[in-house]
Amino acid sequence: MKKINIIAALILTLITPMTFAAALPSGDEIAHNINARDEGLSVSRMVVMEMTDKRGKQRIRKTRGFRKYFGDEKRTVIYYLTPKNVKDTAFMTYDYADASIDDDQWLYLPAMRKVRRISASDRGDYFLGTDFTYEDIKNETKVSIEDYTRKTMGEEVIDGHRTFIVESIPVDKITAKELGHSKVKQWVDAEIWMARKAEFTSLRNKPLKTIYTKEIKQVQGIWTAHRLEVENQKTGHATKFIFSDIDYQKEINDDLFTERALRRGL
Amino acid sequence: MKTNTTAEIFFERLTQWPKTIILIGLLLIIATGSFIPTLQKDTRSDAFMPPDHPALIYRDKVQEIFGLKDPMVIAVVNDGEHGIFNPQSLALVEWLSFELEEIANIDPDRITSLATENDVIGTEDGMLVEPFFEETPTTQQEADAIRTAVMDFPLFVGSIAARDGSATLIVAELENQAAAQATYQTLLELVERAPKGEGDSIHVAGEGAVSGYMGAYIDADAKRLNPIAALIITFVLFIAFRTLRGTLLPNLVVLGTVASALGLMAAFGVPFFVITNALPVVLIGIAVADSIHIMSQYYEEVAQHPKASSQQLAVQSMVKMWRPITLTTLTTMAGFLGLSIASIMPPMEYFGIFAMIGVAVAWLYSMTVVPAFLTLLKPKQSKAFQATTTSNNHKGIDKFGQVMSFLGRFVIKRPGAVLTIGAVVIIGGIVGATKLELNEARITIFQKDEAIVKADHAINSHLDGAHYLDIVIETPNVEDLFKPEHLQRIESLQNYVTTLPHVNGSTSIVDYLKQMNRALNNDDKAAYQLSDNAEIVAQQFLLYSASGDPSDFEKEVDYDYRLANVRVRLDTGLYSAGKAVVEAVEHYLDTNFNDSDIKANLSGRVNIDYHWIKSLGDSHFYSVAISLLLVMTMAALSMRSAIAGFITVVPVAVSVLLIYAVMGFSNIWLAIGTSMFAAIAIGLGVDFSVHTIERLQVLIKKEGRTIDEAITALYPSTGRALLFNFAALTLGFSVLTTSEVVPLTRFGALIAVAVSSSFIASMTILPALIKVLKPRFIGLEKTASTKPQLNFTPSKEKE
Repeated sequence: MKKINIIAALILTLITPMTFAAALPSGDEIAHNINARDEGLSVSRMVVMEMTDKRGKQRIRKTRGFRKYFGDEKRTVIYYLTPKNVKDTAFMTYDYADASIDDDQWLYLPAMRKVRRISASDRGDYFLGTDFTYEDIKNETKVSIEDYTRKTMGEEVIDGHRTFIVESIPVDKITAKELGHSKVKQWVDAEIWMARKAEFTSLRNKPLKTIYTKEIKQVQGIWTAHRLEVENQKTGHATKFIFSDIDYQKEINDDLFTERALRRGL
Repeated sequence: MKTNTTAEIFFERLTQWPKTIILIGLLLIIATGSFIPTLQKDTRSDAFMPPDHPALIYRDKVQEIFGLKDPMVIAVVNDGEHGIFNPQSLALVEWLSFELEEIANIDPDRITSLATENDVIGTEDGMLVEPFFEETPTTQQEADAIRTAVMDFPLFVGSIAARDGSATLIVAELENQAAAQATYQTLLELVERAPKGEGDSIHVAGEGAVSGYMGAYIDADAKRLNPIAALIITFVLFIAFRTLRGTLLPNLVVLGTVASALGLMAAFGVPFFVITNALPVVLIGIAVADSIHIMSQYYEEVAQHPKASSQQLAVQSMVKMWRPITLTTLTTMAGFLGLSIASIMPPMEYFGIFAMIGVAVAWLYSMTVVPAFLTLLKPKQSKAFQATTTSNNHKGIDKFGQVMSFLGRFVIKRPGAVLTIGAVVIIGGIVGATKLELNEARITIFQKDEAIVKADHAINSHLDGAHYLDIVIETPNVEDLFKPEHLQRIESLQNYVTTLPHVNGSTSIVDYLKQMNRALNNDDKAAYQLSDNAEIVAQQFLLYSASGDPSDFEKEVDYDYRLANVRVRLDTGLYSAGKAVVEAVEHYLDTNFNDSDIKANLSGRVNIDYHWIKSLGDSHFYSVAISLLLVMTMAALSMRSAIAGFITVVPVAVSVLLIYAVMGFSNIWLAIGTSMFAAIAIGLGVDFSVHTIERLQVLIKKEGRTIDEAITALYPSTGRALLFNFAALTLGFSVLTTSEVVPLTRFGALIAVAVSSSFIASMTILPALIKVLKPRFIGLEKTASTKPQLNFTPSKEKE
């Protein structure tokens, strides 16, 4: 009798974690849940970009940004407000739904009164001196489905929130090189489907950078991160994006996303 | 037994416990010697500067801001039709750049090559920042396109790519300079297995590589030189005494001396510097000298008193020799003390200190362990001394003694001629000294056929050069460097610097801004200039960041746009060339650049070298003066006569002047290795005059002989011992001339010449001078006394 009990207990302890593991959503399910999250049709917001080099020197730039979906196409524009010498500089992107078409990017330089086209940069290139890549900026808090194969590694509590740990590996070497990393490990909130933390591994399998998503609050019913922080382990550089004055309902004119509007400024 | 002197009592007591003394001596050797394996090498050039030197402190500050550590510089050279702009060579550059990241101690973010750098290209409606090659080129056409792109970016022409396309550099900064030797070895292994194409050759140079190369170089050299020196000296000892004890006992003193000096260096955590390689040889020479004199006296005593006991012979030898040996120890220590206090360079300071310790230990062993051994051993005649008779010890005892006696007779006959020759040498020395040139180039440490020398040559002849002077620009406020007037001032500075000899190019943020301005103006060559608007500059940087890396301008400008660095490239590491550039730039900065809104300071390897080598010249003459003064004072005090002090330093002063003449006339630079010769030559050479004077004093003052009698007696005994002392030193230092380290070769040769000349001067000028001057301290009155007054030689009464 006793023996059977012990064996039963043993089997139970062996099975229990397995059954829980089986209960975890798959990597792809998590990715789909992330991308299904509502992020509003358009948004208007203030973004303070705070960049710090490894010696602790800072560059702070205040910007106002707008984003709007035109069907599957996403258009973004950012106007620099400070510092003075880059005031009215504006950056605009058109992200096309068709991945085979390169995104378009423009930068308006007021001192030269010229709109400059920024030739299709690599997705892994750094965005305007920050530690975010163009890919990070484009995805914001979403993920690119077709670039990775994913695996759910387990779960962990981060800042009191249950998260699933998802490991994403670029589908092939070319994609990895384009993206500039060989692995991403994300801690995805199990309730609101937003990654609270993401660790990137370099192409040489060394720690590259970590993105923290903080101050996640609902704004007009939409889960919104008010703070994004990146620590670049390779360079010691760090970036913070601090969002405020977020409005998903504000009327945003389609004309805002044109070269003419860039020249005109806010 | 008559009244015993204090010395006699002391040595009699001492020789009562010979075994205990020997045991303590051996234990000391083991104890100090056990530290030697923990010695650390320090081959950095920085090691030659005191760590608190303002130039070093500023350099470290600059390094913290801009990086710019001493790099390993790898050159890929291809003299074929397309130069390195062919698919294979470019693939090699990419391979090397990529693999370098994996090497420990190489900063993976601070590798600069054609494969890592970005091109700034103007496009129809914008500007593009992208790598020179994203994909490895596979066709000659693609390689040609890369060539066109690189040659169209002035910043990279001459710095990274040779102007004629025949070579390109991969510059990799080290994280820790002290580990350069291991990194250099790993790098060589990498180069060995690199996929070289047809006509490709790879060279590794740069300050990092020089340090790395030197480490291995010194190791190999020391392992070879020191045993040879020991062997040669053993041979000299055998010729001098032709007995086993005469050969081995001095070697025991050598062992104790070298073990304690190096052991204590290790115990105190003092590193083994490039010049420390000369220390063991110097110590071997010094250590053996004391015991040569004791053994000579011992064998004279044995020959004169064949029936005396071992202890009596040992005591009597010591009674006669303790005073000259102590005197020479004190004067030699004074010479090294001079080197140590006059030099601001840690390697020389430590050299002086540990040489002093070694000299003291050699004295201690000679005064204790040697008589202890002689007491234990049965008295034995030396064949070399058998000819000596008790009645007439003036005559030559063997061929060596005879040669010395001959010299003595010449000095007695022609003192005037001797002094005239001496005067001629002094004048020649002064003339030569005026021709002396202070110069140094680190690469000349190596033999011309060494890989590192070839690499240095390849890099400096194909490209602008890999010797860097950094000009650090400072402005008071954040973003001041956007101001056109400041940028233009930097541009003018760069234009000026490139007109200086050996300067072939310079790089700063200005070069990037000009390239960006051009790109923004449809790649119009005329637009390769600075913008006249601070906002345009700010926005150009922002535009660049749209596709560049956040850390791209780390080496050129700080994050606040307040500090900038201009890196100037020289094609030589020669001090004289660097000095001319540094002084010209300093003058330019003072008169044309610095004001309250912007100022510049110098840094970088060229500036550091300028500062410490400049101080090398000053400290050299200072150390010679101090050493001479200290030796003179020590001699004057010991013999209680100022004139004695003066006469003692005459031979060494002559030898130092003679060396200046040799250096001046044969264009040997006063450099790291050679600058130490003088203080060492003084410390070593003064022994000859001290022994000579001391013996003449004994012969005249105590034994009451005439000056001519004294000189006649001096040569076959003391003179003979000095001859072997001199032979041991000169041959020992000659071993250094077989060194692979060029400065050590020169150092060895100079010391050998200096020791020879001070030996000859002590055996000629010195007795002639005494004969002519008749100084009171030696025991001579105006007319030499003819009658012996006192006879203190106890050995005669002892029988």
